[in-house]
Amino acid sequence: MSTDAHEHVFQLDDVSVVYGTHAAVSKVDLAVHARQITAFIGPSGCGKTSILRSLNRLNDLVPGARVEGLVSYRGTDVYADGVDANDLRRRVGMVFQKPNVFPSSIYDNVAYGPRLHRLKGSLDDRVEAALMKAALWDEVRTDLHQDAHRLSGGQQQRLVIARCLAVDPDVILMDEPCASLDPIATERIEELMIDLAADYSIVIVTHNLQQAVRVSDMTAFFTADYAEDGTRHGRLVEYASTEQLFNAPADPITRDYIEGRFG
Amino acid sequence: MNEQAVRTGIALLLLLGVALGVMTYGGLGYRREMAVAALRALVQLVAVALVIAWIFSHPQWAFAYLALMLVVAAYTSNRRIGGDARDRMAILLAILLGASATVAIVSVTGALEFSAQTLLPFAAQMIGGAMTAASLAGVRLRDDVKDQFTVFEGYVALGATARQAGREFAQRAAERSLFPTLDQTKSAGLVTLPGAFVGMLLGGASPLLAAQIQLLVLIGLMLAQTITALITTRTISPVSA
Ligand SMILES: Nc1ncnc2c1ncn2[C@@H]1O[C@H](COP(=O)(O)OP(=O)(O)OP(=O)(O)O)[C@@H](O)[C@H]1O
Ligand SMILES: [Mg+2]
Repeated sequence: MSTDAHEHVFQLDDVSVVYGTHAAVSKVDLAVHARQITAFIGPSGCGKTSILRSLNRLNDLVPGARVEGLVSYRGTDVYADGVDANDLRRRVGMVFQKPNVFPSSIYDNVAYGPRLHRLKGSLDDRVEAALMKAALWDEVRTDLHQDAHRLSGGQQQRLVIARCLAVDPDVILMDEPCASLDPIATERIEELMIDLAADYSIVIVTHNLQQAVRVSDMTAFFTADYAEDGTRHGRLVEYASTEQLFNAPADPITRDYIEGRFG
Repeated sequence: MNEQAVRTGIALLLLLGVALGVMTYGGLGYRREMAVAALRALVQLVAVALVIAWIFSHPQWAFAYLALMLVVAAYTSNRRIGGDARDRMAILLAILLGASATVAIVSVTGALEFSAQTLLPFAAQMIGGAMTAASLAGVRLRDDVKDQFTVFEGYVALGATARQAGREFAQRAAERSLFPTLDQTKSAGLVTLPGAFVGMLLGGASPLLAAQIQLLVLIGLMLAQTITALITTRTISPVSA
């Protein structure tokens, strides 16, 4: 299967993320396919989060952080002059490792984005539609005006997903979205991701290789090398269809990692 | 030098000397600092008194004095917050608006006579109070954003600018910056006798007049600080660059 046959939402060419003078991860080339799930895997500190956050320019918030190389979103260099990062972030939503619900009601959490961007149409309908898509509506429909912090961890994570969906994103980035959830809540999120991939492109960082196998179409394996002075430099080892990467890895480093983690 | 000044000097020397003596007796440290602080206060207050006395006879300079005070207040507060030049400008405007709204009300109503003698000290007190509120509110805002950075990122990840995201933290930061004034106002006259009130009594004013002036100051501070805290938290950058 040729990657060129796909519609690409993101294209990364020789991308590095640098913090101050430390190149945390370098020379990443990969294409994120539309309406597929792309998984980033690899040992701690290899730069998965750094690369993920370069896609929606959330690195901009980190003083001293810099992205080199080309990150293009649907053909536009996202770091070019004149690109509105806030506009980009509306199209490229993000779900975090710990559910970061806002200190307000369930309704207001979902309504935040549509209000911010003054989206047209009925706000109630939009909130309902987003909660439905996030498979949370049935559980919260009677207490929309309750404090969002009263939801369980898994529900909070689905609320964060609904919050993204309410602004009609194109891509959803998820950084270890199940790291703080129990197996049942994890399974619900995984099912939800697979459903959402019909309409959205999803990039997920995970330490759970079984999860990558269960949900993703494409997998990128990163690793970290240690320089003599002890600094850690991440790089992309291999990017392929999940099936190929797990069954017939091209690189021995990939194979060792996968066997070590699975075996 | 008049007799009153001499008597005051003697009293000050005795007050400080006995304080230092008691400290020595009790084995307390910081005697040097105490003496230096007293000396500083002496120099500062005498200098300010001379400047203000001069301004009272040249009232056209009152505005320049207040403008200088405003700039110093904005610098001081911005340094506490750790802001950049743009934040300093925002704070300056916040203090200016807070203080001038208050001064406008007390002078338009005629509660204070429109003269340098009354409005200068009043405005100065409002600027000082507004500066405290700006510092507290700004520091609070940035601490809160730092403590809950993932929530802050949540707003930004939905397309909010840093300032828009900061606004979600502004209300609580502004509210909490008003607590000291709230407490001070609630306890005025019960737990403490506030400064203006004591000063006026010492200066020979009637207790009722002293109370009136003190009320103008206290409630004036409420207004000045509320306006300043609100504007500060909504206009400075919520994260340090
Ligand atoms: N804000 C930052 N400032 C400086 N260095 C950072 C910052 N964030 C990450 N790094 C460094 O960048 C490297 C990659 O970190 P990153 O968080 O992207 O890795 P990761 O693969 O997501 O790791 P994990 O699996 O533990 O989440 C690490 O060496 C880390 O120390
Ligand atoms: Mg990470």
